[in-house]
Amino acid sequence: MSQSLAPECNEIKERYDTCFLKWYSEKYLRGIGTTDNNECAGLFKEYSTCLQGALKERGIDKLLEEAREDNKENDTALMGKKKCKLSETRGLRQR
Amino acid sequence: MVLTHTTNHTYSHPFPTVTLAFFLRYCSPQLNPFASHVLSTDTISSHLDPDTGRLHTTRIHLKKSRLPPAVMKLLPASLTGGTSDKASYILETSIVDMREGWMATESRNLNFVGVLSVVERQLYAMPKAPHAQRAADNSTDVETRVVFRSRLGERIRDRLGQAQAQAEAAASDSGGGFFARLGARGIQRSIETLASTKTQDQLGKSREGMRIILERLRQTGIMGVLELRKMASQRGPEAAAH
Repeated sequence: MSQSLAPECNEIKERYDTCFLKWYSEKYLRGIGTTDNNECAGLFKEYSTCLQGALKERGIDKLLEEAREDNKENDTALMGKKKCKLSETRGLRQR
Repeated sequence: MVLTHTTNHTYSHPFPTVTLAFFLRYCSPQLNPFASHVLSTDTISSHLDPDTGRLHTTRIHLKKSRLPPAVMKLLPASLTGGTSDKASYILETSIVDMREGWMATESRNLNFVGVLSVVERQLYAMPKAPHAQRAADNSTDVETRVVFRSRLGERIRDRLGQAQAQAEAAASDSGGGFFARLGARGIQRSIETLASTKTQDQLGKSREGMRIILERLRQTGIMGVLELRKMASQRGPEAAAH
């Protein structure tokens, strides 16, 4: 079973994951309720609050910041290519 | 120095199911035996853009074996922190566009970026070729591009500055002295090559894992998968048998 990196958040993570997977498979993928996934928003807020402390404690918040800074240059180079691919896909999809 | 590796693959499953399998792929070793190296998975943000209908998700995975063993051997223990702590955080971002029929994902390591940065980008889409229009309902193309980049040495120079680096090198055998002996460029290339070889092996396993989940979804649907996941979390395979 995939755990949360913070054992104290396991239970709320589990509940959020189940909510998300149900929403995703039963609504999002079927095009129903495409406005918002707010039915899981309450659970996510709780889960997020639980996780915040753990991210700080383990220095992950800093790693995330570094990753964002570090990869700005790479992103401009690589995202350019990806955007091309995506727009190509989009173009072909319009039949 | 940068090394890029690109592969293409087609899953014989419809696009929506493949995107669901992507979110499920680390959810349980019972579901995916190739995910036993994943120690934890957390969602740090999830947002549905009301204008585009795109779902943006950010997750953090903790995975065993942060670097290939061969890479570890190349590096001094002072840099890798010995071999006891073999786990690395992976940042995964994904965008699903169900209207247009594509999903773009990106995974990158958060630890040891200065030694080796591995960025994997995937683009999942329904088949594009005109003759494949009928197949579009039943198959999904994925392009995987992995970029390896080692900035060993560069980073250390940046951080310490020239004078300090020299002092450091004189003070310890394993700092600047290590790079001076072996040559940072050669090591960068070796690290990228070794990591690339390992990743090619792992891409096969990751596909195999996706295939198992896709098969399970075909057989039991999402509710069956959720049920299995719940049972597995409660207590091992005995519980799942009841």
